[in-house]
Amino acid sequence: MKAALIGAGQIARQHLACLNTLPGVQLAAICDLSPATAEAAAERYAIPSWFTDYRAMLETVRPDVVHVTTPPTSHFRLAMDALEAGAHVIVEKPATSTFEELQTLILRAKQTGRHVVEDYNYVFNRAPQEILRRIESGEFGAVTHVDVLICLDILGPGGFADPNSPHPALKLAGGAIADFLPHLASLSHAFVGPHRSAQTVWSKRKPSPLPFDEFRSVVEAERGTATLSFSASAQPDAFWLRVYGERMQATANLFETRLTFDGPRNVPKPLRPFFSGLEEGSDIRRAALSTLLRKFKGPGAYEGLWECLARTYQALTARAVLPITVEDVLAVNRMVEAMKPTEQKI
Amino acid sequence: MKALVTGANGFLGRHVVDALLARGVEVRAMVRPATRVEALGWPASVDVVRADLRTSRDLVDAFENVDVLIHLAAVVSGGEDAQFAGTVGGTERLLDAMAGSNCRRLVLCSSFSVYDYTAARGVLDETSPLQQTPDVYTRGGYTVAKWWQERVTRRYVEQHGWDLTVLRPGFIWGRDHGYLAALGQQIGRHHVVIGPLTRIPMTHVENCADVFALAAVDQRARGQTLNIVDGPGRQVWSYLSDYMRGTGERGWRLPVPHWLASAVIRLAFVTLFRRATKVPAILTPKKFDAMLKPLRFDNRRLRETLGWTPPLSYQQCLTRTYGPVPVPTEAPASWSSGTAASI
Repeated sequence: MKAALIGAGQIARQHLACLNTLPGVQLAAICDLSPATAEAAAERYAIPSWFTDYRAMLETVRPDVVHVTTPPTSHFRLAMDALEAGAHVIVEKPATSTFEELQTLILRAKQTGRHVVEDYNYVFNRAPQEILRRIESGEFGAVTHVDVLICLDILGPGGFADPNSPHPALKLAGGAIADFLPHLASLSHAFVGPHRSAQTVWSKRKPSPLPFDEFRSVVEAERGTATLSFSASAQPDAFWLRVYGERMQATANLFETRLTFDGPRNVPKPLRPFFSGLEEGSDIRRAALSTLLRKFKGPGAYEGLWECLARTYQALTARAVLPITVEDVLAVNRMVEAMKPTEQKI
Repeated sequence: MKALVTGANGFLGRHVVDALLARGVEVRAMVRPATRVEALGWPASVDVVRADLRTSRDLVDAFENVDVLIHLAAVVSGGEDAQFAGTVGGTERLLDAMAGSNCRRLVLCSSFSVYDYTAARGVLDETSPLQQTPDVYTRGGYTVAKWWQERVTRRYVEQHGWDLTVLRPGFIWGRDHGYLAALGQQIGRHHVVIGPLTRIPMTHVENCADVFALAAVDQRARGQTLNIVDGPGRQVWSYLSDYMRGTGERGWRLPVPHWLASAVIRLAFVTLFRRATKVPAILTPKKFDAMLKPLRFDNRRLRETLGWTPPLSYQQCLTRTYGPVPVPTEAPASWSSGTAASI
């Protein structure tokens, strides 16, 4: 399959490095508004052609799959044009600025017989996949609740709160935090399914150009409940996922490789916490080492992106069901839409 | 004569502004929108324009009546992509604007990091081999960005027929910037000194700024690429002693022969780290060489082309860096007297 990419910024590096490792995938072209950025990426990842005009790229290269990794507000137009050019589209989250744009995009994909995939990379990290495997095997029991909390300092001068150069994500409803809602919603969706209702609190703890720096949501979903949170002030940086089942509980930090389970054991009840503690301690020590080692090589916390892309290309080649279906994308974005701040609050 | 200086409030930029004023050049200083310029003590004659090269529109207005662009701006912190977008993307936007103006002369601040230290032998000078693609991409964000910045600039110059001077400073040091990567590895208060007798290619920020001002006004600089070092450089052990004395830092210094450290790092790189690219800089052979390879440095071409000698001696530079802060009334142009600051 012939792949092309639009927008050679930070996240593009993960897509490009991954694509170069996938069997049967030819990375054919790259496009960026900056000629030097496009050419440098082409040199670094051995891509045969680079462009500054994406329409020229679509026409000349006729890619089978287009990766859209530009700032979020440009996704819709680029993705629509890629579909018109006959390509499947893998778009970084958030796929579009509004739900209406997403519906238009998905409708057009159906009409053209192509796929649109929004990247929910953290769902494909090893920890959530292992929890899902145990749920499927029945070992975990039915999930009653999932708790996802991202603690990330986005108020530093070089990031979202750069006073000299407003981050493109600030144009989204909810500002910088809106950039993270698809992660929260996609994890919730993976464990408790489509949402029915959501109660949210958007607030601001510290002065900054960001409209909000704290977010909490309580979600009632088809198979259970979820609490989804983002905190720019809680430190250190972490991405906590806790899943509560009828037999087991799981805790993972998706910025690291840490994953621990607590469940029934064949010991007298008073001794269960003791043995659980020992096992959890040894799991955490092993994870500390593997987190350190993965810093040296490979995708690090983006392991899920590589896994998601590998499975997506396999499915596209085999014309099988994609790991992220259009129904998943719609359900996740409905949840995101329900969690966005109201007009009055903005 | 009017000069547009980008990165004018940076560590080098603020001294370049002073050096230009001392040579009677009018200055338009480009700073980012949120920069507080009051603390810089610039005279009212300095024309401040606010722009961020990553995002600002209408940069062409900044070139109005400008005779020479002195391009110092670069993003030197953050991730590799942030550095590339800021330094290289910013240069593209700036030079696109210059192409729409009457300005035809430019002085670019490049860097020693564009040289291929691993391939260099003996003396590192302007004839030494440069990094090549795709090898350059193993050198880290700063080098990739500076290498591309020079490449992009040369392309614009060729396309538009401009006059270009490329200046490549070694390690620039000065007040609050006394610690240099060439000093080895700091562990807490202690220092592992790799190759204690290795010379450091160093230039004090005020000497370096003087070269930029000279290059802006001197016809002989046109078309030249010049390295900037104040001289053969101090040895690592000796400069580290001055640094520790100057800052009052206390700690042990462990000397390690360069050949030994180099052998260990190269072995670890192919065995333990299996050529991984994300290990710390000092554990990557190419970056290790760029920081610590024992080469000799001279400023012969700079001396012969522009007749330049550093206005400040090493002792004066030490006083400027580690001595008492000069009282504000001495600013901004008093440095050109060539005497050490005192109160």
